Amino acid sequence: MSVEQAQAQEQQASTIRLRWGRGLAWLALFVLLIILAGGLLRNQQGAVSVGERIPEFTLTTFDGQTLRSADLRGKVLVINFWASWCKPCEQEAADLEAAWRFYQPRGDVLFLGIAYVDTEPEARAYLEKFGITYPNGPDLGTRISQAFRIRGVPETYIVDREGTLQFVQIGPFRSLSQIKSAIDPLLQP
Amino acid sequence: MITELGYGTLAITFFLALYGIGAAIWGVQKRKPEWVESARNAMLLTFPLLTISCASMIYLLVNGNYEVEYVSSVTSNSMPLYLRITALWGGQAGSLLFWSWLMSAFASAVTLRNWQRDREFLPWVIVVSLVTLGFFLGLTLFVENPFDRLWLLPNGIAVKSFFAREGAIPFYQSDGKGLNPLLRHPGMIVHPPMLYLGFVSFVIPFAFAIAALITNRTDDRWIQITRRWSLVAWLFLSLGLILGARWAYDVLGWGGYWGWDPVEIAAFMPWLTGTAFLHSVMIQEKRGMLKHWNMILIILTYNLVIFGTFLTRSGVLSSVHSFAQSAIGPLFFVYIGASSALSLGLLLHRWQDLKTDLHMTSVLSREALFLLNNLLFMGILVICFWGVIFPLLSEIITGQKVTVGPPFYERATAPLFAALLLLMGIAPLAAWRHSTLQTLGKAVWKPTLVSLLAPLTAVLLGVRNLAALIGFWLAAFVACVTLYEYGRAAIARSRTHGESLPLAFWNLVGRNRRRYGGYIIHLGVVLMAIGILGIELFQKETQATLARGEELRLGPYTMRFESLAVFDTADGRNVARAVVSVYKNGRFVGELYPRRDYYYESQQPMTIPGVRSTMEDDFYVLLVDWQPISSAGATFKVYQNPLVNWLWLGGFVFILGTLIAAWPESEKSPAIARAKRQAPLGAEAS
Repeated sequence: MSVEQAQAQEQQASTIRLRWGRGLAWLALFVLLIILAGGLLRNQQGAVSVGERIPEFTLTTFDGQTLRSADLRGKVLVINFWASWCKPCEQEAADLEAAWRFYQPRGDVLFLGIAYVDTEPEARAYLEKFGITYPNGPDLGTRISQAFRIRGVPETYIVDREGTLQFVQIGPFRSLSQIKSAIDPLLQP
Repeated sequence: MITELGYGTLAITFFLALYGIGAAIWGVQKRKPEWVESARNAMLLTFPLLTISCASMIYLLVNGNYEVEYVSSVTSNSMPLYLRITALWGGQAGSLLFWSWLMSAFASAVTLRNWQRDREFLPWVIVVSLVTLGFFLGLTLFVENPFDRLWLLPNGIAVKSFFAREGAIPFYQSDGKGLNPLLRHPGMIVHPPMLYLGFVSFVIPFAFAIAALITNRTDDRWIQITRRWSLVAWLFLSLGLILGARWAYDVLGWGGYWGWDPVEIAAFMPWLTGTAFLHSVMIQEKRGMLKHWNMILIILTYNLVIFGTFLTRSGVLSSVHSFAQSAIGPLFFVYIGASSALSLGLLLHRWQDLKTDLHMTSVLSREALFLLNNLLFMGILVICFWGVIFPLLSEIITGQKVTVGPPFYERATAPLFAALLLLMGIAPLAAWRHSTLQTLGKAVWKPTLVSLLAPLTAVLLGVRNLAALIGFWLAAFVACVTLYEYGRAAIARSRTHGESLPLAFWNLVGRNRRRYGGYIIHLGVVLMAIGILGIELFQKETQATLARGEELRLGPYTMRFESLAVFDTADGRNVARAVVSVYKNGRFVGELYPRRDYYYESQQPMTIPGVRSTMEDDFYVLLVDWQPISSAGATFKVYQNPLVNWLWLGGFVFILGTLIAAWPESEKSPAIARAKRQAPLGAEAS
């Protein structure tokens, strides 16, 4: 093999390498953009809105009980996102518990408390402080709050018997009657 | 009136930017330098115009013109003057305007340099800078307009719009919502501007790199021009990161300084590529190698700046903590797609022209070690990028957003950071072109021997943690090498020049600022490493509910809860303030006042720790909870953060070193020119 041949071969090999390199660079950029677009699309969907079905979730309560949203169909659900570090949550805590005690005997209304980005001892202390008796559990890995795409705490989602979201409260409820007026329309037969 | 002025100048600047882009391209195409000159004037004008726009916004904020939606969302009557001014960057719309203003400052400044020797770069530098500026101005003008006013529609709904709506009446409010309490901290006032300055100033080196690619001027000129720009950009970015860490430590109330939050990483990634770039340009300057690599690094840095801004502002990642949902996400996406595709295409197009026939001659040469340093920085970048992108990826594939936490980043990056420290010690002792194990060993053995004293002392003091011992040794190693280098050079200089040792030392740094400034930065990194090792490996914490007069113990400390008071302040806060006495080894060392402020208007609490700081450690107390009625008991979270102040001291030294390295050299001074001629060859090498 002459020197020219070897050089030509080397030239050819380097051209092929370059072509592959280019292809890979473009592919990497393309994949990256797809991923970003995917994230953006989901983000643009925004929060779960009234009239939509709520996302399915599983909540393990502080007592170790496991609740699946799918098993709770047929009941009106009041899902409250809160945190022990959240001051405005404290404003509504007593009213929420009073509302729970009011509806609990009926059996067809269930309150669920979901502790957002919280530590267990502090969350338990909070529940004890306000004497809260309805099921509460931590949102492990913020999965539930992300599924609902909450903006902050407190936020409350009220769901009808078919699993359709009917009411959203951003920020704390101001009174017991406000909570009742949101739940009562869903209890008509 | 002022609202119209601000909006008007903003709009004019936007169209001026579009004109500048068009005129610059037209001027090149038709070979009409007067058009390029006109584009240059347009770019020069953007700064004064946006200054008027920003000044109008500040006027509205200070004056409490709450009919402007932005003003009502970030200020309130009870806020002091300085917070009203800094509210300019307290929200999405205002901070975009502020970003644009800083960008225009750099764009205007770059038009003022002497372009005699590199005229051909000018039009393309104008195009790149103005496209970037124009994009942000467009966002501010059409999507997130800070000058939008509130209008009340006949049906009672308030809408925001700059121009009057049909049938709507202006909606005047008597008070605004106020700034997020977390942002009411001195660190937060300076931190965002520094970060933005770092971001926008990296646009200039990128613009020159793109200009070099387009004009196919593949020599080192663009690197020589942008060396100081890059250093300044890097200075601001570093300062922004350090101030952000300090803010987190003071305000966020978890006794930490860096949480590997996506927003933090977004700012850290361009810093990583920027740091790699600052090192690898030296190889191109000294040896003419790595031309491709430098282009890749600066392109990456620019795109990471935009990517980071996108991540924080579009709400893609953490919908709860970042700016509220907004329409700017898709626009940012298109811009990132276009800018990365165009720069990649351009780079690949010029790939062959950037080739050099130079090769590494020794694996232990300084250039080889610098390249290794670059690869380590890239390794850390890949880890960070993977961590940031992983939630998005997992959401697409599994439908669930899985985030990776600090342990992932810590475990993955710690060995790389350790390797970087080691290289930081060895590389300055290696020679350019050719170094052997023998020459390197000869240079290294003395400082190595001395540095072993550090882990030995630590063992004698009772430290048994292997990671800590390795870390302390590495830190001591870098410190010894750096000081040894200084000492050797200063002694040599004092002999040859007959100067006293301190004077020789001073002149040494003054004559070769880049090299010795760089060494000071290395010393800063060493100090920061010591602080990080201390807090990461030896932090102690405890939590307890105490009745008045009760005590808790942590390490050598005893803390007694003395009293608690809850009261309202004139500026709309409800303050719960505890008084605790702190004893160290049984000796009283002072009182601390951890407190919790609750802001009525924004309904947000803020925890302010009580801290006792020494170089040995910080005793850091947080008030977690208290009994509102009896005020008898309170819950405290208490941290002992060893060595953490070395981190802040190191940050200070780091910035000082960067300032020295970036300080303009007065090359015209005859004394320096003479000194340069007289200096031995070796002293020039850096």
